[in-house]
Amino acid sequence: MTRSLVFGFITLVLGSASYAQESTPAASPIEPQAPPGLATSPSAAAQAVVPVPVPIAPTKPNGPVQKSLVRITATSVEPDYKAPWNAGGLERGVGAGFVIDGNRIMTNAHIVSNSRYLTVERDGDPNKYRARVLFIAHDCDLALITVDAPNFFKNMLPLKFGGIPALESAVSAYGYPIGGERMSVTTGIVSRVDFQLYTHSSIDQHLAIQISAQINPGNSGGPVMQNGKVVGVAFQGYSGDVAQGVAYMIPTPVIHRFLKDITNGHYDKYVDLGMTYSKLQNQAQRRFLGLKDDDRGVLVDTVVAAGPSANILQPGDVLLTIDDHPIASDSNVELEGERADFQEVVERKFKGDSVKFDIWRDKQPMTVSIKLFTPWPYRIQGHSYDVRPRYVLYGGLLFQPLNLDLLEAYRPTDLRLRHFFEYFVLEQIYLDHPDVIVLTNILPDPINTYLAPYRGGIVDEINGKKIRTLDELATAFAETPERFVIRMIGDGPPLVLDRNKVEAARERIKTRYNVLKEQNLEEQPASEIAQQVKSN
Amino acid sequence: MQRHFVIIFGVVLVTLTGALAKKEPGVPASMTTQKQLALVRVNVTGQSYDYFRPWQKKAPFSKRALGAVLSKGRVLVTADLVANQNYVELERAETGEKTAAKVQVIDYEANLALLEPTEKTFLDGITPLEITADTVVGDRLAAWQLEPTGALLATEGLVTTVQMTEYPIDVGEFLTYRVSIPMQYRENSYTVPLVKNNKLAGLLLRYDSRSQLLDAIPAPIITHFLKEADSQNYRGFPSAGFSFFPTRDPELREFAGEKRKGGGVYVTNVEPNTPAMKAGLQVGDIVTAVADREIDQNGNYVDPLHGKIEFTNLLTAHAYSGDVVPFRVERNGKPIQLNVTLEHRDAKDYVSPPYNLDQPPRYYVLGGLIFQELSRQYLKEWGPTWERSAPQRLVYFDRFQSELFPEGNRRVVILSQVLPADSTIGYDDLAYLTVTKVNGKEIKSLDDLAEAVKQPIDGFIKIETEEDPKQIALDAAQVATEASTLQENYGISSLQRLD
Repeated sequence: MTRSLVFGFITLVLGSASYAQESTPAASPIEPQAPPGLATSPSAAAQAVVPVPVPIAPTKPNGPVQKSLVRITATSVEPDYKAPWNAGGLERGVGAGFVIDGNRIMTNAHIVSNSRYLTVERDGDPNKYRARVLFIAHDCDLALITVDAPNFFKNMLPLKFGGIPALESAVSAYGYPIGGERMSVTTGIVSRVDFQLYTHSSIDQHLAIQISAQINPGNSGGPVMQNGKVVGVAFQGYSGDVAQGVAYMIPTPVIHRFLKDITNGHYDKYVDLGMTYSKLQNQAQRRFLGLKDDDRGVLVDTVVAAGPSANILQPGDVLLTIDDHPIASDSNVELEGERADFQEVVERKFKGDSVKFDIWRDKQPMTVSIKLFTPWPYRIQGHSYDVRPRYVLYGGLLFQPLNLDLLEAYRPTDLRLRHFFEYFVLEQIYLDHPDVIVLTNILPDPINTYLAPYRGGIVDEINGKKIRTLDELATAFAETPERFVIRMIGDGPPLVLDRNKVEAARERIKTRYNVLKEQNLEEQPASEIAQQVKSN
Repeated sequence: MQRHFVIIFGVVLVTLTGALAKKEPGVPASMTTQKQLALVRVNVTGQSYDYFRPWQKKAPFSKRALGAVLSKGRVLVTADLVANQNYVELERAETGEKTAAKVQVIDYEANLALLEPTEKTFLDGITPLEITADTVVGDRLAAWQLEPTGALLATEGLVTTVQMTEYPIDVGEFLTYRVSIPMQYRENSYTVPLVKNNKLAGLLLRYDSRSQLLDAIPAPIITHFLKEADSQNYRGFPSAGFSFFPTRDPELREFAGEKRKGGGVYVTNVEPNTPAMKAGLQVGDIVTAVADREIDQNGNYVDPLHGKIEFTNLLTAHAYSGDVVPFRVERNGKPIQLNVTLEHRDAKDYVSPPYNLDQPPRYYVLGGLIFQELSRQYLKEWGPTWERSAPQRLVYFDRFQSELFPEGNRRVVILSQVLPADSTIGYDDLAYLTVTKVNGKEIKSLDDLAEAVKQPIDGFIKIETEEDPKQIALDAAQVATEASTLQENYGISSLQRLD
């Protein structure tokens, strides 16, 4: 729910229409979706509108931060999911970054995503320097870039990282937000340390720290400092309609994890158990499962078949400990004296690491070990960056695999499509449909005059053969039957294409609609950034 | 193709000019003053059931409307007006004399109801309205309303279209007159008769004041309703039970083995246990004629009065439950004939019933868990935008019910909400879960659930759900002891309603 309310401070997109929108204090509260029944959820508005104490000045100055801060201007190309053969729209944005050891500049992934040309500027230097991306982590909104110009880093001061700042302690945020050209400093205190959705991917949740310092578009990627050390990277906040002054920074545990992950030359992403769980706070349920009255354990609900827990955990298992940390019935563990969700243990691990669970199955104790990796099916529910959209155009019919970017481009109201998206992982729809292939659009031509009603359909089979992936669709169309009979999921009629007529129309359609390429099957890198990440 | 269209236009033109040529005035001057109007005021007080608190009814509503006085001392109104009524009262327009009335017959799908005054002489002196079914596009109809004095307020409008549309209870489509008319607001405007030459031509279905377009339940539907109401056992409008698709696409026609250049619709789905399935209709068939009327590629037949109308009109307005209707079908290019014995499909024959009015919802409260059966009536509790605002998973189940539950003959039992109680600590956030099993027994109705609950496993009631958390458990003894407190705390008159 709150997902849509958070905005990444992407960028001061040239022409500041977006700024006006975001800063307008709107009084309208969010409309609760819950019925007037008893099922209530805390209203985000009610939670968020809390007066903030007047910021206290930092106890110690943070030193000459100007010597570490850079202003990043990114020119990016946003893929066009409605005309996927085109390069896409050009956008330009501004964000902040800061120098760390090894002649590297840390910033947010969302600033340099899809970028084609990057420049950085520094205080007191009239030059703009060409920069390039070293590593980018979309799942935690962090990136490292560098400047190849000799001596660029010579007079720069690399910043060092601190730990998790204490609640109520003062912090300062540095960046280039709207309101002027030069560096801006704002101060505030640490308001909350909690798991948050990272809106850049809009699927990943990690630790984030809420601060009361003003951060605005343009602050993104800038350091948040305390006692001369970086304690976070400013990255997202709430827009004016919901709450004011709610800003978040990426804390150092997430930053350290990113820096450690890339030491082998590539970013492997966060790993995940690939399962869902419920708290075990109901006494009857605990007794039914034969558990002790010790407030420990969480219940395994769904185990994702494409995830690392498959064939190891089962629905109905109770997780008692994780790497020997007892899991409380509210899913928390104690880590270094702090209570945190037990997933935090997994959060700190890397691809190939193992995690050990003491579990309770059929009233018997067991110990299992799970070798961690990133389950792929979640990917379609998050944003993708630095890749070209995959598609097949055949007979003017545009077929595209379902994902969040596609949904946001077309905003379909189709109930079935939205169900397939929402339950892709939980109902394990990906087992039958690794790609949910949607007939998204039809480029009108005499051969497809009557096919408009099929728009929005999900391809099930072609000429009696199940179509599971976009590659299989392309392969099917490469065959030479007299006609293609395409069955969509549901009760609709088959879509019938006469192959000879389609073949005769191909060039005509390509020319008329300026289609450069009839298909793209690989999620190939769309920019130099991803290529570099791969080759590294 | 080309010639076909020319013919269509020809028909429409003939109908149009014919209609315009008549130029019959809607209200003869003599009518307004001399005779007693065949109109009575209808005052209704009712209460809807509260599907979020299924043990109680909502606050009472009152509606004031007009009814058309028909022969045999009956008053015709819309079903919408009297659905969930507690008390219906008729009032003579001129004298203000009142009497109680009872609902004699009601058809929620066709949105029609017949009222009968308890005082038999109440309608004496009123000449009942006759019904005229000859309205065509271009005719002028008068909407009859009443001034507070009891005097007639007549507004004239033009019939712009005659077509099949969805009625408020969206079960199939019915014939509708669309009338362009500048209606004025008066009290009692809930049900408004539309009159042509002193005869009843239709009844207001809906009105959009912005576009000034009125949809009316047309006389053919009213006549159908009245004819069946005269029989002992009202069955309702029939249906055949299949979905279809136009055959304009030549590729689809060829695929279906259709070599002719003629019409017909492609059968995309035949629902189980329906007349169409019993008659042997199959997916992929092309239905070319129904009741000996040819169907074009869009699914229209040529009505002698209205021209092109979707063929389903032949099955609703022109046929009755029990009628045997011949279907001409092309199967793999060969013509065959199927005889379809039409039946009315009751709301209860659906997995998720499309409506449930004048009847309390079923529910079962267990500890603080509330179980209900999925129905569109429940989903409509989310208001006019229910399709977007109700839980989308449940809307999906309702929309695709015949696909998801092809065996039919069941309900979807949902754990709709949780009332905080000792037995439900930790379950507070659960809502809209579909129940698959209770104590190991499959659940296909609330009756199944009530039965399964009686057989706890070692003193626990185990409930399995399709969605996370997949399973929860209650202490059977605790549930029993807590029941009275729960009833008291939340004002639950009864913990279950299964009848």
